[in-house]
This record gives sequence, C-alpha cells and structure tokens, in this order.
Amino acid sequence: MMHFSTDQQTLNDLMVFGKPGANSILSLFNKTLTSGGAEKLADMFRYPMADFEGINTRSKIIQYFAVKKLAFPFQPALFDVIEQYLSNTDERSKLQPRESSVSEKLKGLVVADPHTKSINDGVTALRQLLADLQRFFADPDFGQNTGTDGQHPYSAEVQPMQALLQDADLNGFMEENAGKTLSYTAVAGYDVLLRFKKRDKIRSCLQAIYQLDVYLSVAGIAVQRGFCYPDAMPAERGEVVFEGVYHPFVKGAVANSLRIDPQGNVIFLTGANMAGKSTLMKSLGTAMYLAHMGFPVPAKAMSFSVREGIYTSINLPDNLGRGMSHFYAEVLRIKKVSQELGQNKHLFIIIDELFRGTNVKDAYEATVAITSAFAAKRNCMFVMSTHIMEAGDTLKQRCNNINFVYLPTKMDGKLPVYTYRLEKGITADRHGMIIINNEGILDILNKKLSI
Amino acid sequence: MSFIIDKQSLEDLNLTGKYKRNSIYSLFNQVKTVGGERLLEQIFNHPLSDPDEINRRSAVFHYFQQQQLAFPFDKEKIEKAEKYLHEGNDAGYIGSAIGLLKHKLSHAVFHSPEYEQLTDGLKATIDLLRKVSDYLKQFKDAENHPLMADIGKLKQIFRDQRLTDLLKESAELSFFKLSRYHYLLSKTLKKELELVFKVLYELDVYIAVSDVARLKGMGYARALPASVDCLKASGLSHPALDKAIANSISLNREQNMLFLTGANMAGKSTWMKTIGLSMYLAHLGFPVAAKSLEFSVMEGIFSSINVPDNLNMGYSHFYAEVLRVKDVAQQVSAGKNLLVLFDELFKGTNVKDAYDATLAVSQAFANYTNCLFVISTHIIEVGEELRERCANIQFRYLPTIMEGSVPKYTYLLKEGITSDRQGMMIIENENILEIIGR
Repeated sequence: MMHFSTDQQTLNDLMVFGKPGANSILSLFNKTLTSGGAEKLADMFRYPMADFEGINTRSKIIQYFAVKKLAFPFQPALFDVIEQYLSNTDERSKLQPRESSVSEKLKGLVVADPHTKSINDGVTALRQLLADLQRFFADPDFGQNTGTDGQHPYSAEVQPMQALLQDADLNGFMEENAGKTLSYTAVAGYDVLLRFKKRDKIRSCLQAIYQLDVYLSVAGIAVQRGFCYPDAMPAERGEVVFEGVYHPFVKGAVANSLRIDPQGNVIFLTGANMAGKSTLMKSLGTAMYLAHMGFPVPAKAMSFSVREGIYTSINLPDNLGRGMSHFYAEVLRIKKVSQELGQNKHLFIIIDELFRGTNVKDAYEATVAITSAFAAKRNCMFVMSTHIMEAGDTLKQRCNNINFVYLPTKMDGKLPVYTYRLEKGITADRHGMIIINNEGILDILNKKLSI
Repeated sequence: MSFIIDKQSLEDLNLTGKYKRNSIYSLFNQVKTVGGERLLEQIFNHPLSDPDEINRRSAVFHYFQQQQLAFPFDKEKIEKAEKYLHEGNDAGYIGSAIGLLKHKLSHAVFHSPEYEQLTDGLKATIDLLRKVSDYLKQFKDAENHPLMADIGKLKQIFRDQRLTDLLKESAELSFFKLSRYHYLLSKTLKKELELVFKVLYELDVYIAVSDVARLKGMGYARALPASVDCLKASGLSHPALDKAIANSISLNREQNMLFLTGANMAGKSTWMKTIGLSMYLAHLGFPVAAKSLEFSVMEGIFSSINVPDNLNMGYSHFYAEVLRVKDVAQQVSAGKNLLVLFDELFKGTNVKDAYDATLAVSQAFANYTNCLFVISTHIIEVGEELRERCANIQFRYLPTIMEGSVPKYTYLLKEGITSDRQGMMIIENENILEIIGR
C-alpha cells in the first residue's frame, strides 16, 4: 500500500488532532462508545491511505452503516472488564482446583477472594459478549446479508467475529445459561479455555468489534451532519472536484465549489484579511485529509485523485526562541515543502499568505518566484493565497495553469461585508486602511492640529 | 500630575516585576531590607515630572555612587526590630508591664514563645539603635551630605536622655528594666523610631541602587524643562544586557521622529526598548546606562513593542494594534508631551496593508512636534516614501552584513534606510527554487 505523508505543521494547521480539550477534527468524529474504538479511530486519523481502492472500500463500509442506522449491539462497559481480564496472561493466576467440600463452598459464598472474583467477572462478561454477538448476527437487519454475503466490503471484517462464534470448543460455554451463576470448578475450566487457549481469537474478535464501533459512530456523524462520501480515483488523473465544501467548525458556513485539474493545478487566492481565505483553505485541506481516510467530508459532493501527501503552511508559528525571524520560518517551511515536491510525489499543497515578515518588494519577488516554480509541477495541486495582487498579474502572463479566484469584500457604507463566496479573478480588496479610517485615527491626529 | 505609562508599555520595556527575569526593577532590587524594598518599589513605580526634583534625586544617587558606602546594618536585626515595633503596644505603662508579665509567666509555665520573641525583639532593637548611634557619629554637622537634614534629625533623637541611658545598659536586663524599656521604645518613642527606620531604608535604597550603577558603569541623566522638547543621549545601551552595544540618539523639535529600519534580527526592538526604559529610569532620577543623557521631562511613555509575534491571532491582532494606535493618537492629540515607541506596527497583517497603515500613521504622528517618536519597520518602502513627505523625520538603520550566506549583525546604528534585501537572498541561499525544480 502506498504511504500517505504529512507532517506536524499540517496536522496543526488543519486541527486534525488539536490540543486536549480543544476542537479538533478527531474530536468531531470521536463518538465511539469503547476505548478500543477510540484508539482505532485515532489510528485511522494517524494513517490516511494513498490507494484509491482501499479508500473506496472503507468509504463503502461507512456508507453501508449509515444506511442501516444500526445501534452498537454491546454494552460498552463489558469491554473494560474483558480487556482487564485478558491482560493477565500469567499462568500462575489460573484458579487452582480445590475440594468442593460443603465448607469450601460456604466459604466461597460468604467472601469470594478478589482474584477469584475478577476471574469470575471476566468469564461472565465474555459469556454476555458472546450472547450479544450471537443475537447481533441473528439480527435480520445485519447478519444475513452482510456477514454471509461475501460480496459486501464489510464481510472481510466480520470474519474474526464469526470465527469465534463458530468455534466448536466454545459450544459448551455458549450453551451455559447467561443468567445462571457458574460453579467454581466451571469458572476455573472456562478461565483456562478463554484466557489461555482462545485468547488470541477473542482478541481478534474484540478488534473487529472496536472497528465496528468506529464505523457506527462515523456513520452516525455523517448522517447527523449531512456529510458526503467522496469518490477516490487513481492519482494520474490529477483532478479534485469540491462541490459545496465548507469548514465543519464554522457555524452557518458558506459552501464553495472548486475544481483543480492539470489545466489549473495552482489555485491563486486573493482577498482581504477577513474575507475568509484561511477558512476556505482549511476547508479544502480538511476535506482532502478526511477523504484520504475514506471518511465522509463536509461537502455536498467530492471526487478526487488520490494524493501521496498533504502539506500546509497556514498558521506558521515563529520560533523567536531559537532566534528565527518570521520570514526565516516561512522560508524554512517552503523549503520543507519543496523537498517533498522534489521527490516527484503527487501532493496537495496549501500555502496561506506567503512572506508576511518582509518588505513589499521581497514579498512580491518571492511570491512570483515560488509560485511559478510550483506551477511547473503539474502532478501536484497547490492552493496559495496572497495580498500582493501584482504578483497575480505577473503570474497570469507567465503561466497558463494558474486558476485565479478571490473572496470578495463588499462595502456597506463604511463597513466591509464579506460574502465568503469564491469568484473568478484577482481582487485588490484590502481593508487595513478601512479599519484605520473607521477608527478615525487619522482624523483624531489631523483635526487637533488644524485648530 | 502623574507620569502616564500603562501595563503594556511596562511589559514591553520589562520595567517592573520583582520575580520577572531580567526586569529592570529586579536589576536594581539589591536592597538589604524588606522596608528598603518597599521604598524602592514605591520610588520605582512613581516617575517624577519636575526636572529639579529629578536632578536632586539623581544627585543623591550620584553622591552615593562616588562615596562607595556600605550598608552597615544587619538585615536580620533590622527585621526583628521592625517586627517588634510593628507588633504595637497600645496599652499604658502599667498595662504594657502587665502584658509583658503575662507573657513571662506563661513562658515560665508553658514555655510559650511569645515572651522570648518579645524580649528578643527588644534586645535586637536596642542593639540596632546602638549601631545607628555609632554610625551617626561619623557625620560632622557641617558635612555636605545629601541626607544631612535627616541625619540631623536622627542625631537629635539620639540626644534624648532616656535613649542614651538605654544604650548605655550593658548587663542582662531585669524584668523591671525590660518592661520600662519596652514601654519606652514601643510607645513613648514610637514616632522617633519610625523616622530612624525611614532613614535606614532610604540609605538602603540609595546604597543598593548606586552600587548597581557603579558595577554596571552607569551614568546619570540631566532633566530639562518640558518646553525644551529633546532627548539627547550618547553611549546609550540596555542595562540588563551584558554585552549591549551602545548607540546615540538625538531627537528634538526639528527632528522629532526616529524612523528605524533593519532586518528582523538586527536589533531594532532592543534599541527601542533601550530608549524607552532609559527614559523611564531618567524620570525616576535613577542611573541610566549611558555616557550622557539629556532629556526634557515628558508626560508619559507609550510603546507597542514585542506584541508577541503570533500571527495566529491574525486579524484580531491587527485590530488590537489599530486600537492601541488609536489610544495613543488620542493621548497625543490631547496635547500631551509623550515618548511614543512603535515597533513593527501592523506586522500581523499583509505587507500591503502594513505599508499603507504604517505610512499614514507615521506621517500623521510626525506633525506633533511636542512629542518624540521612534518607529520601526521592516517595510523599507515606507521609509523611502516618508523621506519624500516629511522633513522632521530622522532615518537610521541597523545593518546586516552577509558573511558568505550567514547574516551577521553589528547592532551599530547607521544613518539612512537599510537597503538590506535579505528576502530573496535567504530564498536563494536555501536553494528553494532549485529543490522544487528537481
């Protein structure tokens, strides 16, 4: 399988993992009921895919569950008990056979020692789990046309669960009445069977269940939020079509559509500070990231040629502590991206407002130089924003594969108003001076002097 | 009227803050006593606005700096004595004696610590007073000491017969004597002793601050009336930096704005902080790290330096800066004489907005010839435009010298606007275009 590459800066920019407690894309989807499921989900976020078939398969499974609207068929609390139980792999912890004298039994009734009790709890929980699993497979809504239907993409993942249910060694255990208290001897016997002989099989089954937990919760979010399922295509087409894409954290977000293809693989985005450039870029990046996980994305529709990586430079931190100026930090970031580009990968690159920490002339020259170098990489996709519209004019003449779009600012009297809707072309909108004029700073200074 | 300086400016210049690393206050806070520290803090937080008063105080510091006096009193003893006197004794003589007796009894029976503390404090006070009395003897009455007035008063106090008797005591004190002296010190002579402590603390502050000045080779500023409108310094450097490079500055009515350019690491912010904090110290009458410094008294300092270089704040940061500038604009237009320091204004926004905004704002401010401005930017185009438009702006820059591909900084101010165009140079040094093209 091809590897999808990204880096910490990108993950930060797109808020994929975020800080603990803060909003993140992961936390948006993290509605799993089991902690094993949460771990699996985080793993999926850590490793997006770079083969379109794998992506489409996962996407189909999630779509399947979104249609079925199943509930998670187990009690989440069972899993903590079972994991705890299975984690004790010490042979010496097996229950020792003992005289089943009446006195022993009585003693056991009054005070079960903690060790016996924990084993008893584990065995009981597993019995409950298997019963639930059986019921789930018997559910006509799920069992018959998935588990047994070899055609369905999910059927491959059902196998470990089925294997456990069909294990003949467990027949006796499964026939025990779930409500009945087991005798000490029976518990000791099942303990050896479950915890030592069948441990790996049970573990695989648990993993499949956690995976199911992930699918169900992701599908639930997709339904609840009306996300769409992107189509993945081979990398060679070099084409991404976003339709009605928006940022999941922005309330009442305005959706935009954008097409990136080999004839216009560089998106040159202009617009004023508040016009929504960064948010749009983050929306694109987030959608691409989720799409490469096979996850539903905040958009109306989307299709994309798989990329081998995504790199962004949106919220670049300074590292003044290390004696680095902002400009230098920007340059190093571009260098890092360039090194990735130099390896001839199919990448998706987002760069927001290059070269803030320098003078106008340098910023202009650097923007032109870097953007035209990027434009020559037709196998990659670029989204770049800037305020230096002169750079856009120059680039228009130099390259024919740059798509110029902007986010407009409309003036409502003295107040700037933003539509957040992409338009074609380059804008000269800036509103730094508008804000300064609105605050009347120059008036304050000039008025007093003239008196 | 009090000197205007707000929280942001205090933080920009890293002036106050006892526990802050390298704060200017902590630099001077070498006092020995708690009371001295209280006094130092009080002085430090209240810049003066009368040039004569400033010059008088700096003369005292200067005197102490030359005299190299040590603070001859034991810190712990002073603390004990002060604590003892602060405990208070509101009772009359009989009541006070009975109180003391009570403590003594409970000490004898229960080993209660209060009695011991009380007698300890009393003894420490007596010891301290003996030291002070000895110390005062070295001053001749006609001496030209800046604290002579206070010293005279103290001498008067020590001429009090009761006090002289007390100080002559040598043997262990009987309970009767103890209770008599206890009453005398904590009640009868309370006011007088407070004055003794006040002078001790002053001595502490003067000695501590002037010691720092001597150690760092600092000089003193000369305050001029506000109407002069000038700031002239040579060999001015940052007192908290060990190897700070000194520069000169001269602003006045005809040239009231210093426009500073230079690369990011070239030392613009440090120079601006140096100017700001030196002016603050000068208004305290404190020593400054300069060969010479002359200044007209200002009504306040406003700075916008060091706005944490955090572009994540994006727009809100830009807006915050706009509001800051507006605030300063209001103060300036109200006719106040201010020192205004703007470092890399509007850096959170795009280059073009920053260019327009810096140009417009600088030009508008420059008209206020009663104020002094220092404005820095890396947008050199602003400087070139301002040179065309305003005659009262002084242009200086901090150069970058390329040693091969490594930028070096001299930190020595030069006249003009920098022509360093590191931008493309860095990009070329990092071979970025070549890497992409590979």
